[in-house]
Amino acid sequence: MAIAENLRGPAVGRPSAADARRYWLQARRNQLTPYLFIAPNMALFSVFVFFPLLYAFYISLREWSLIDTPRYIGLENYARLAHDALFWQSLSNTAIYSFATVPMSLAIGLVLAIALNRDLLGRTLLRSVFFLPVVISNVATAVIAAWLFNDNYGVINTLLQQIGIGPVAWLSSPRWALFSLIVTSLWVRIGFCMVVYLAALQSISPTYYDAAQMDGASRWQQFRFVTWPLLRPATFLLLILGVIHSFQVFDLIYVMTGGGPGFSTTMIVQYIYQAAFVGSEMGYASAMGMVLFVMILIFTLLQWRGNRRVEDVA
Amino acid sequence: MTTITKRSFLKTGLCAGIGAGAGMYWGAASAQKAASLSMTSWGSPAEVAAFNALIEQYKARNPNVAIKLEVVPSGQYYQQLDTRFAGKQAPDIFRAQYQRIGRYGQSGAAIDLSQYLDAGFGQDFLPSVWRASTFRGKPHALPHHTDTFALFYNAEIFEKLGIEAPRSLDKSWSWQEFISAAKLVKEKAGLNYAFAMNWQNSNAYRWLMYLYQHGGQLLDNELKGPQINTKEAAETVAWTQSWFTDGLVPPNTSLKSSEPVQNLFATGKIAMLLHGDWQIPFIQDQAKFKWGVTYLPRDVAMAADLGGNALAVSRDSKSPDVAADFVKFMVEEEPMRAFVTKAQFLPVRKSLKDKGLVYDIRNEEMKVFLEQSATVPEHLVSTIVMPTWDRFNAKLADELELAFTSGQSPAATVANIEKHVRSTLLV
Repeated sequence: MAIAENLRGPAVGRPSAADARRYWLQARRNQLTPYLFIAPNMALFSVFVFFPLLYAFYISLREWSLIDTPRYIGLENYARLAHDALFWQSLSNTAIYSFATVPMSLAIGLVLAIALNRDLLGRTLLRSVFFLPVVISNVATAVIAAWLFNDNYGVINTLLQQIGIGPVAWLSSPRWALFSLIVTSLWVRIGFCMVVYLAALQSISPTYYDAAQMDGASRWQQFRFVTWPLLRPATFLLLILGVIHSFQVFDLIYVMTGGGPGFSTTMIVQYIYQAAFVGSEMGYASAMGMVLFVMILIFTLLQWRGNRRVEDVA
Repeated sequence: MTTITKRSFLKTGLCAGIGAGAGMYWGAASAQKAASLSMTSWGSPAEVAAFNALIEQYKARNPNVAIKLEVVPSGQYYQQLDTRFAGKQAPDIFRAQYQRIGRYGQSGAAIDLSQYLDAGFGQDFLPSVWRASTFRGKPHALPHHTDTFALFYNAEIFEKLGIEAPRSLDKSWSWQEFISAAKLVKEKAGLNYAFAMNWQNSNAYRWLMYLYQHGGQLLDNELKGPQINTKEAAETVAWTQSWFTDGLVPPNTSLKSSEPVQNLFATGKIAMLLHGDWQIPFIQDQAKFKWGVTYLPRDVAMAADLGGNALAVSRDSKSPDVAADFVKFMVEEEPMRAFVTKAQFLPVRKSLKDKGLVYDIRNEEMKVFLEQSATVPEHLVSTIVMPTWDRFNAKLADELELAFTSGQSPAATVANIEKHVRSTLLV
């Protein structure tokens, strides 16, 4: 308010030249301040996100083996993508992996959150146990999972063999390898979903449940008409984060299967890595990276629009 | 015969610098200009210890030179090296497989060492590895050591089942005899699987030795066109595929697997292992049973894999002359003897081969590897040193993996490999 009055200047007569300059400087300063606050963040973002993104696009138009000089080839890498069966298979594997892991991690996370939101013996310990894989490095988790699933000396096969089943080629058969990866991913991701749902559940006011009980609602009806609608923002957030995470999955697969057997667990990021660092085709890998960027951008925009819609409804 | 063991040799070099073994080199003292060098390599503890001991010897001889060895896990080695080249921060000296020298030479990442070498410098080196270290006739690295494959076997199981391992190269098993032994082991030794092959971690090229054993080859004699879409090649794919379909090898030992196959052998899960000489120290430490090494199986021909590495000087080096001097020192006769006997490799100097070597451990088994190394086909060497080999190697791994684990037919496999030869290897 004071600034606005200052800017309007004295009520009577024309402002002096000095006053006008002072007012102008003040206004400029006020406009500049927010930019100064965000400048460090923008600088970091530019260095680590914008510039690499533009550079990746630059490389995607070239042939480059990393140790020689990049050679401009136009849109050849993008044209090659369209006819690359392995690219489409890796996209298809990624889609299957996403469809399997995202809904299941949400559903199991929700069930666990509801169970651990009640008075239960050892509740804190159980919450920690389920959340533990989230805070452990994915590589460490993958190494543990690879040991558990190992065909020859894994715990799972040892137990199965004791009851007369197997051994099952968990990681070396195209039939089971993707399944084993999905189980490991669920192990990691349900803990995250559980914590987000737990936070969302605890933010629901008990008065809603009191009112529902007074109206004679059963436990299922309370969940159906009170809990579930109020968990919608959390569900939407987890859904989008889960899909983005699935599209970027790499470390688990790199350690557990290396994308094999065959190409049965080759996901899009795995294929990008293969093209870049095994096949020494940085340009082609960058072109795939750009396609992945566009796909994740679309999901991010969906999240943004979806969140806005949910907020509008609220 | 008085023998200089690796310990006595290293001790002599370190303490006195004028030991009998190192006498010739140390006798020619040189005043090297001041430089601080970095060298990168992967390696087992024995290899790293051998490198460090030789670095200390060089530093004792050249007090103005500092050399730091950076050890990178083998799985990430080339990825990290190439990234450092892209950032113009490559180490002064780097170790590379012979299969990679062509690529580093072609791109200029490894400098031409001719200017630092006297005429005839390469004459004492085995012709195959000297050629493998050159690009367009110019040495872009110096051969440091070689290695090859042979067959490790569990001697206790062999004795129990009455299997006799071949005792000389000319009596090596045929493919059929090898498979019969494997089937016997699987049926009678109470093991789930009989053997495994080390071709994981971008080492698909090792499959080629079977192709040559069966009378096939990847490229024609002039190295101008593919010669893989043949009956011999399809049969070789079918033979190696049968290892998996007949359950002779653990299914998780295919090319894309990260299973360390030496662990399976050392823990007694399999009775035979197709692996290289550098694996001896590990098996010596870990295996709690009697074991031995015999020759590779053969078919219409004998053939082994060309392994081993060369040392190169990078284009980013600020002191390429000093780096080249160090690399020359590393491939001198006595340092080479010290390295190979300590880290269980084979020498690449004819003079060392002629004089004979005594290894600290498993000397008799190393003789088997030494004999086997003579069966590396010249044409195979010429094929795998092509500059685009590493790109093709990845495609070869993909196709063989599909054959071994996903039921891709041998005919389709060789047809696909032929396509990759045209589009990747012969570009």
